Amino acid sequence: MTLFHFGNCFALAYFPYFITYKCSGLSEYNAFWRCVQAGATYLFVQLCKMLFLATFFPTWEGGAGVYDFVGEFMKATVDLADLLGLHLVMSRNAGKGEYKIMVAAMGWATAELVMSRCLPLWVGARGIEFDWKYIQMSFDSNISLVHYIAMASVVWMFTRYDLPKSFRLPVTVLLGLCVYKAFLMELFVHMFLLGSWTALLVKALLTGVVSLCSLFLFVTLVHSN
Amino acid sequence: MFEEASEVFDNMFKTSFPLTFIVFIPAVLILVSPLPADAAHEFTVYRMQQYDLQGQPYGTRNAILNTEARSVEAEVLSRRCVIMRLVDFSYEKYQKALRQSAGAVVIILPKNMSTMPQDIVQQFMELEPEMLATETIVPVYFALEDEELLSIYTQTLTSSPTQGSSTAAEGVHVLDRAHSRSKKYLSVGETGGRLAGVGGEDLPTIVLVAHYDAFGVAPWLSYGADSNGSGVSMLLELARLFSRLYTYKRTHAGYNLLFFVSGGGKFNYQGTKRWLEDNLDHTDSSLLQDNVAFVLCLDTLGNGDGLHLHVSKPPKEGTPQHALLRELESVVASQYPELKFSMVHKKINLADDTLAWEHERFGIRRLPAFTLSHLPSHRLAERSSIMDVRSVSPSSPEQEHQGGGRGAGQSHLQPDGEGEQEQLSSVVDWLTAQPRAAQLLDKDSSVVSTLEHQLGRYLKDVKRHYVKADKRDPEFVFYDQLKQQMNAYRVKPAIFDLLLAFCIAAYLGVMYLAIQNFGLLYSVIRKVTQPKAKTH
Repeated sequence: MTLFHFGNCFALAYFPYFITYKCSGLSEYNAFWRCVQAGATYLFVQLCKMLFLATFFPTWEGGAGVYDFVGEFMKATVDLADLLGLHLVMSRNAGKGEYKIMVAAMGWATAELVMSRCLPLWVGARGIEFDWKYIQMSFDSNISLVHYIAMASVVWMFTRYDLPKSFRLPVTVLLGLCVYKAFLMELFVHMFLLGSWTALLVKALLTGVVSLCSLFLFVTLVHSN
Repeated sequence: MFEEASEVFDNMFKTSFPLTFIVFIPAVLILVSPLPADAAHEFTVYRMQQYDLQGQPYGTRNAILNTEARSVEAEVLSRRCVIMRLVDFSYEKYQKALRQSAGAVVIILPKNMSTMPQDIVQQFMELEPEMLATETIVPVYFALEDEELLSIYTQTLTSSPTQGSSTAAEGVHVLDRAHSRSKKYLSVGETGGRLAGVGGEDLPTIVLVAHYDAFGVAPWLSYGADSNGSGVSMLLELARLFSRLYTYKRTHAGYNLLFFVSGGGKFNYQGTKRWLEDNLDHTDSSLLQDNVAFVLCLDTLGNGDGLHLHVSKPPKEGTPQHALLRELESVVASQYPELKFSMVHKKINLADDTLAWEHERFGIRRLPAFTLSHLPSHRLAERSSIMDVRSVSPSSPEQEHQGGGRGAGQSHLQPDGEGEQEQLSSVVDWLTAQPRAAQLLDKDSSVVSTLEHQLGRYLKDVKRHYVKADKRDPEFVFYDQLKQQMNAYRVKPAIFDLLLAFCIAAYLGVMYLAIQNFGLLYSVIRKVTQPKAKTH
């Protein structure tokens, strides 16, 4: 029943995207092609990041047990390019703030789902051997969706000209958290030696907190006038 | 959304033809890709012997396996792979597995045999011939133990008692992609050389023979340290001794010496049989045709504290054989009193399936021959066991070697050379470093060429020749596929997948409701933040 297991994992990963697309009203705006364009921008940005990392960052020569904090921190900084990419996508789309955010986030997250999760699921979940990591991967993709929506909204807020001064700091902090989330997760796993399910839980909590804060700020911003 | 998607794809197809290829061909290729074998653990298994002796099949068949693994204590064993460890092995359990037509039997052997208690080793050695005696359709495999295999075994142990015949439990699944087997015929390489005696043309010849192959219940695990690694190493040592002695006129005896390392020994001494045919029937003149004083075969001299000379006819007084017997007795009595020496007389029985000792081959061709061995009987299991590995006690072999060597040497001269311990042990080490079952050694095997090289250092006229079995009427027929890779996976039962599907459906339902009612959350937050804004 291994194809069945693949079906399970794929449904778990993909259906929330589908539901979000349907229920957020994007389908009324014919946003499919724009989402695909956002996905293409995602690919381009990832390619640039990979080239940059490969060229400028040396391989870590140390032992296996030591975690290279500084090196990983620098590598995580390169993820700032993600923000630039999101900004690019959103600036090319005309429309309301929510529309821009949703289009950019959906396209970006779907591209990440297809690129980094579909192939491992296809190759791995179809095998005879059972491993919990495929279910975890699918959950992770759900968390990523929420994360990218939060990230896109924070980027949008950052670039608004009418952002009140008091919001600058929280928005910047949230922006930083978004970019370094992966780095923080690895830090936690390494320092506290978390199990895989615990790590997933921590990741979900972190993303939940970030997205709730960004939602608060967004609502306040949009309805403050 | 699907309408938009189809619109997009339509545009794609209409505008550019190559784009469709770029999109579709990889998708199709990925969809039809074969299933990768990503196993929990992949290990090598060695199959039990399988051969036909004069049409009668022996040993185990081969099979493609895709079964669940069970331990032998479980009740239902049919069509399952039974895994047992050597410490728990007993003949009744093995019979139980065979009676219930198990899918396969895998016996886990420890990597280092010396960690096993002696009685278990002895018991297994005695069971080996019984396991081989009849043909079974259940494939029997041997695997060497490592940590992963041990953990798989403990998992099957814990899950087996709770399972009846249900397939709906968590367990280990064993997969073996075996190909169909094919027949093989024995082809052996053998080598030999000679040393010429002093004085005249028509000197009598003494022949020294040892066979270099080994036999066990699994061919890839037959290292044969004692049987017959000890015999070959002793032969090389005697060659070295006599070549040194023959360089000095004082110790150069009036006998031609012929040394021969034969193959196919465990399969009714096929190599020796063909060598005799070649030399006696097909060649015009050979040392074997003229005056042969006697033939001494060396077989299993490593362990033990007894030395036996096996003869098919007790030697008469006044013959060289009798002189050798007397010399051996006197050497043992004077210098090695703790060795028990005796002569064992066994008539050649041509009605038996296989010949007992190598000297019987020579006896059939009317050449006087005997075999020197520490085993009192040819039926003992030590001659054909996979437990016969290198870690044997080193004290008795040197006594055996020196006793036998001195006895052989003193039959006509006074040697004062001594066996070099390191040389002996290094030869046995080299021999036991590889499995030497006759099926595995073919023309290109390095064993024969190395032996030839070694003999070439001491002897003259060292030649190598090959013997191939007659395809029309072979005495032995072998089957290959003796070493395979087996994969073990940890699987979850089918019910688990269904359960998981239910849970995921429930989760997705909750997600759907949450997203549908996202507006509620939005308005709540708005209400929370609104009063704050109003007060600013």
